[in-house]
Amino acid sequence: MQKHTVDVPGAEEFASRPKSRRDFFKTLAAAGAGAAGGSLLLSRTASAQDSSASASASASASASASASGDVDIANFALTLEYLEAEFYGLALDAGVLSGDALAVVENLFDHETQHVDAIIGLLEGAGATPVAKPEFVFPPDSLASQAGVLELANVLEPTGVGAYLGAGPLIQSPDILAAAGSIEGVEGEHVVAIRNLLGIVPPADEAFPAALTMDEVLAAVAPFIMGGMMETGGEGYRDRNSFGRV
Amino acid sequence: MSEVESRGLIGFDQETSRRNFLKTAAWTGAALSAMGIGGFGVAVNRADAQAAPYTTYEGLGDVAILQFAYQLELLEADFYAIGVDSGLFADTFLTQVAAIRDHEIAHAEALAATIADLGGEVPATPEFTYPDGVFTDVVAFLELAATFEPVGIGAYQGAAPALESKDILAVALSIHNTECQHRAAINILNLVVPPNDVAFEEALPIADVQAAVEPFGITG
Repeated sequence: MQKHTVDVPGAEEFASRPKSRRDFFKTLAAAGAGAAGGSLLLSRTASAQDSSASASASASASASASASGDVDIANFALTLEYLEAEFYGLALDAGVLSGDALAVVENLFDHETQHVDAIIGLLEGAGATPVAKPEFVFPPDSLASQAGVLELANVLEPTGVGAYLGAGPLIQSPDILAAAGSIEGVEGEHVVAIRNLLGIVPPADEAFPAALTMDEVLAAVAPFIMGGMMETGGEGYRDRNSFGRV
Repeated sequence: MSEVESRGLIGFDQETSRRNFLKTAAWTGAALSAMGIGGFGVAVNRADAQAAPYTTYEGLGDVAILQFAYQLELLEADFYAIGVDSGLFADTFLTQVAAIRDHEIAHAEALAATIADLGGEVPATPEFTYPDGVFTDVVAFLELAATFEPVGIGAYQGAAPALESKDILAVALSIHNTECQHRAAINILNLVVPPNDVAFEEALPIADVQAAVEPFGITG
């Protein structure tokens, strides 16, 4: 029997790339996901690290580095969830959806919102500071029609899957990994729901969904993250996007 | 869609779905808090919390976990292969069921290769048994499929944090994602609208997985 490779495309590369916090942020900055975005992520998590370090002065350097790595990853995931939640909230507000597509996107919005809340809860529970929601910008076409919404959703969801699959093996805490796994699978279900609406047959068509490298994730989402204005993020995300909607 | 409707499969009851969804959501929330989510495994207070599902896989070792997962994949591959050959499905439905079969076969082969690489023994294929009628009634088949997939999801999700090798973890997570995609695909075949009906996937302790698959012939 021919041996089937068990390498998940990109996983190894992802796992080997951000070897340290410094590399992680260098990658972020290099990808130019909004200059302000990178620096905000950096300053927020850096201060979180400082407080956690002072809180556990006896912790070894490596243990501290691992914990901060999980914080970085959780904040990165939070940014992706913010992005998805905002897009689906805007898509619902745009009033261009109907029928099954409306039902699917209502759940997408609800799920991503719950993921945002869960990750914020994780971070705060760990004494870390969740990143603020960046300002996002979406191509007008993506909100002008149902087809436009589904087309962009079909970009965002596989990116989310790839990001979780790539980041999963880098997570140190089993509890954080358990939470990430719970969310990662849901993003995979989103992929299938969207493909089905797009008429793609079969909707479930991946035996081994690919992990994405950090660079690949950032390249995919960079067009939607605006520079500037990130420090304040405008008015509160929850207020502006009607988190009480569902 | 019309294919299933013509077979008399009743349209999806939105209210039932919503209730189930809320139940699931509530359960998941409770499970997450029971797992001690809110800490980073450092200062988690589990005094009054049930152990996280992954703790039931700890200490088994990667090979034993993969051997168990391999048998689950064999069961799924067998089930879907018989379903494809049964003549119950046609057109887009057949395309999806055949794709799922192919995925499960690919998973089984990948796991077997990994077990062998690690020097472990690849388990023999169990003799699988199924409830009467599942291969002659499309509704029964899809109902069973809808119960299989969450078991696979729960097993991989439960086992993932207990895996020692990060390379194997990467593979396990990818397979886990596919099983979740299958769950959504089976929802679609069952006319569940929307098919993306949970916000968090559920991890299962190994005892729950064993209990779920024992009736089908997996005793290892």
